[in-house]
Amino acid sequence: MSKVYKDLREFLATLEEEGQLVRVKEEVMPEPDIGAAGRAAANLENSPAIFFEKVNGYKYSVVTNVHGSWYNHALMMGMPKQTPVKEQFFELNRRWDKFPVPPKILAREEALCKENVITENINLFDILPLYRINEQDGGFFLSKASVISGDPEFPEDLNKLNVGIYRMQVKDVDRLAIQPVPVHDIAIQLAKAEEKNEPLPVAIALGVSPLVTFMASAPVAYDQNEYEFVGALQDGVPCEIVKADTCDHLYVPAHAEVVIEGYIIPRQRFVEGPFGEFPGSYSGCCKQCEIQITRITHRTNPIFENLYIGMPWTETDYLVGLNTSIPLYKQIKATMPEVVAVNAMYTHGIGVIVSTKVRYGGYGKGVAFRLLSTPHGMPYSKIVIIVDEYVDPFNLEQVMWALTTRVKPGKDVVIIPNCPGMVLDPSSNPAGMHDKLIIDATTPVAPEPNPRSCEMLVPSPATPKWEEILRQLQSAAQKKQEGNRL
Amino acid sequence: MKCPRCDSDKARIMTKSPVGGAWEVYVCNHCCYSWRSTENIQISEIFKLNDEKIANMGMLPPIPPLKK
Repeated sequence: MSKVYKDLREFLATLEEEGQLVRVKEEVMPEPDIGAAGRAAANLENSPAIFFEKVNGYKYSVVTNVHGSWYNHALMMGMPKQTPVKEQFFELNRRWDKFPVPPKILAREEALCKENVITENINLFDILPLYRINEQDGGFFLSKASVISGDPEFPEDLNKLNVGIYRMQVKDVDRLAIQPVPVHDIAIQLAKAEEKNEPLPVAIALGVSPLVTFMASAPVAYDQNEYEFVGALQDGVPCEIVKADTCDHLYVPAHAEVVIEGYIIPRQRFVEGPFGEFPGSYSGCCKQCEIQITRITHRTNPIFENLYIGMPWTETDYLVGLNTSIPLYKQIKATMPEVVAVNAMYTHGIGVIVSTKVRYGGYGKGVAFRLLSTPHGMPYSKIVIIVDEYVDPFNLEQVMWALTTRVKPGKDVVIIPNCPGMVLDPSSNPAGMHDKLIIDATTPVAPEPNPRSCEMLVPSPATPKWEEILRQLQSAAQKKQEGNRL
Repeated sequence: MKCPRCDSDKARIMTKSPVGGAWEVYVCNHCCYSWRSTENIQISEIFKLNDEKIANMGMLPPIPPLKK
């Protein structure tokens, strides 16, 4: 059984034991220090999480870059930190099939997130060391908060309970802006509430166990409950949740650091943004919804978990790399078993590489069509590359080989204009619409003619033996070199 | 108090630091911009706002028609 974390604190303890968390003990300024440190961490290899013990003017601490490296990602799954990305992909795949694992609903007194309650004179700044992430942001943002909402039409249906990460701007001491992009699940629920001019109750969980954040940012289907996926990814260990205080059909992670409860104000929009986003540029101002906060519950000495976002790669890219790839893979695989793996790690799935066996001529393009009709792929994916089953889509050197040796642009490159797009893609025009580019880099299969034979090179059977010999010789040579230096 | 983004005089104090009078946070009631007294605010020309820009700003998501 791999390691399971019941809350953020247990995960931070493991990161620290593994040398993947550093503490900043000296007091820092909220600006520019915390944002700058998040950017700096993203510039390093195998970056640690950064724990700021003291922030000027505030009572409590901040942690950032918790998901910001493949080492931390592997530890999130309870695997050795050096586990290669492709192995993490296949382990996630294995656990994914355990869905659904029903969550464990705790009594209120068992849930650590209920230790303290604030219902009067609510002021977010008392609890959270809020700060500006990037210089031109319109205010202080929550970039890593799990937002829980229900379907107003079927409030008791827990399959339709949604847990998602949406960026939120602090608009006042008890008010937040939220960005429910139309392609995301919460927008379906909000539309149902707004048609009746009713508020949409929401709960916002900050500082949760790392797999909750991982699933909150994964594009699973509307009627799939994220908590049941957390149990699956914990290899069958149920996720612990508790009922929200102000709404009977909302459930929050039981040991979250902070839970903010309130409602989206219906049929009103207010200026939000700009905000530095995952494509590496600012997304401009827009009129968006606001949440009125009615209650905060929190653990004693809460830790504010937030992430840096900007020019890739940053913590966001590690967080949404594999959790975007896996559901796309599962969704395509369900109808096309020839598909081997999906790499949707580039710019949140705007670029996707799929490796597949080609069942019959033109099948590569069919795989691209299927990708472009999945919940995430339809609006997000703009550049789709299809490669043969023996090409590792996570190995860009191999993908470049496929592009250079398998693509005949006249027939293999297709542009489909005026399709669903993603507003945050700065090339989409109008914002939220783009053209699709499909590149079929697979080898032609009948009935597609392949007029030129291409005989693949086959390595000598003695190659693995020689790999081992060379490894040992190199290791001995390096040791000798080190000995000379001492 | 003047807003550094839209130049309106509708800015107000949002809150003060919970510990030690370290800083104040201000917010503009007109364009929603907020900032801290300890920040060196320099808003890029492209992100400045005026009444016309606010009036023509897009809405996300669109508000659906009311159902009877």
